[in-house]
Amino acid sequence: MSVLAVEGLTKSFGGFTAVDDVSLMVEQGEMRGLIGANGAGKSTLLHLIYGRITADRGSIRFADVNVTRLPVTGRARLGMGLVFQVTSVFDGLTVEENLLLGALPKEPGRSDPVDRSEVGRVLEVVELSGARHRHAGNLSHGEKQWLEIGMVLLSRPTLLLLDEPTSGMTHAESRRTAELLHQLRAEKATAAVIVVEHNIEFIRLVSDRVTVMHRGRVLADGTIDEVQDDQTVQASYLGRLH
Amino acid sequence: MPSIGEQTPGGRFRRQPGVSGGGSLRYAEFVLLAALVAVPALSRDAFFVDRIGRFLLLAVFALSVDLIWGYGAMFTFGQAAFFGGAGYVAGMLTTREEWILPVPLGVALVAAVAGSALLALAISYFTFSGRGALRGVEFAVVTLAVAVALERLANAGGSITGGQNGILITSRLGPFHRGHSFYLLAAAVVVVTYLGLKRYLRSRPGLVFRGIGQNEERVELLGYDVPRNKRWTFVLSGAIAGLAGALFYVHEGIVSPAAVGVGSSTLVLLWVVLGGRGTLIGPVVGAVALPFLTARLSGTLLDTWLVVVGVILVVVILVIPAGIFGFLAREKTP
Repeated sequence: MSVLAVEGLTKSFGGFTAVDDVSLMVEQGEMRGLIGANGAGKSTLLHLIYGRITADRGSIRFADVNVTRLPVTGRARLGMGLVFQVTSVFDGLTVEENLLLGALPKEPGRSDPVDRSEVGRVLEVVELSGARHRHAGNLSHGEKQWLEIGMVLLSRPTLLLLDEPTSGMTHAESRRTAELLHQLRAEKATAAVIVVEHNIEFIRLVSDRVTVMHRGRVLADGTIDEVQDDQTVQASYLGRLH
Repeated sequence: MPSIGEQTPGGRFRRQPGVSGGGSLRYAEFVLLAALVAVPALSRDAFFVDRIGRFLLLAVFALSVDLIWGYGAMFTFGQAAFFGGAGYVAGMLTTREEWILPVPLGVALVAAVAGSALLALAISYFTFSGRGALRGVEFAVVTLAVAVALERLANAGGSITGGQNGILITSRLGPFHRGHSFYLLAAAVVVVTYLGLKRYLRSRPGLVFRGIGQNEERVELLGYDVPRNKRWTFVLSGAIAGLAGALFYVHEGIVSPAAVGVGSSTLVLLWVVLGGRGTLIGPVVGAVALPFLTARLSGTLLDTWLVVVGVILVVVILVIPAGIFGFLAREKTP
């Protein structure tokens, strides 16, 4: 069963077509990698899916709902969660308050109790229990990125979108992030994950399938081995990395 | 390894510490607040105590600014519209003799607070909603325009607003109008407002509002209704300023166009900056200390007191931009 179905999505900025007739299906339980050179349209596609920018053409179905014209708040409430490339945690709030902002009900007027033990568990998963009452602004870059993942996870997303999560991380932090994503999948904390990345090693560690984008279009789609063996992909993208 | 995928019954959302900054301030602020409201009451000088009571109402006005600017990053140049506007409403309703007027002071005070809240609601309706929602400088410019417009309206209002002379308010705050009893009234208002705001900022909508002040887009991307939260917090801020303004101007016995203007709106910003925005205790201290200092210096340094006050402000802003209590409440990087 597909969590996300993107069909014929197109977005232009002035005369430049950043995303050109892209179709994509993400299945339940899948971790999808999205790779491509700078300007290939990966991040634009991610932000179209999340609704930060509106598509010129095409459709996006999420959890069996057509969300193409739905604003970001609506998509978030339906179960999408986005983690930015540049960490966007709340620096002046404590780590625990950041997580509570993820956990609280988003609809106005709802006052359901928050499961504090779950907040505590997420703190342990992202290895920030010791920093519970520290301001998020005092965390390292990697810790902030994990905190943001934790914050988004507490909103119980069906689809987790990660925009270059290892950007600026050390090698050890990147490996820890990959472990964290596998742990989330094992625990069914989210139904599906899409990761935009330049770090091929990271993509190999976390992705079931990989979509390669080039000049706004989908160049190839398959397992990491299949796309790495693809002659077109080697010529247009992977060749440049070696 | 702990699991996060499964649900277990857990405790309810508990209130969080640290709204007013780091641990060092957590208890000190209450001691300071208690001292600020209790010590002057020990003085036998009724004039002095009455004056401190006025400053405490100004502190409530400063708290209303700190709420939206210090915690929500909504910089405003027009908060006096609610403070002075409430003074005008209270003055008009208690002094005019037409239709059902004058009304009892209690009714006028309630109407003044409601009027300020409604004005805030009207402003927020046009500034926070839809795709053209205003932030940052744009919002500040709109509030500036409101302050300028209201000051001109008050000036040109003829018999309704009293024009340049304003309105002489003859009503009295009953047994609380002067001296120690007025001081106690003002102290009660500042303490209730302070504790109420502390509670609000630790509540769910308060946490969301503080999140908006840190990173509005992130809050929106999490799925929260940002315009709604900003709107109702702005209305709360307007109502608080209205309560302080209505009591202040009834006590003063006069309200004039400057009460709603840019000058008054700017002055309150200085108190908040000096004390430390986003700390609650800072603006209270700033709103008492700066007018107190100004009153003292203007009596002794006849020609240069403004320069001295200006230099103090510039030094504080340059050396500790977070303000006195913002600096004290900072969390040290480990």
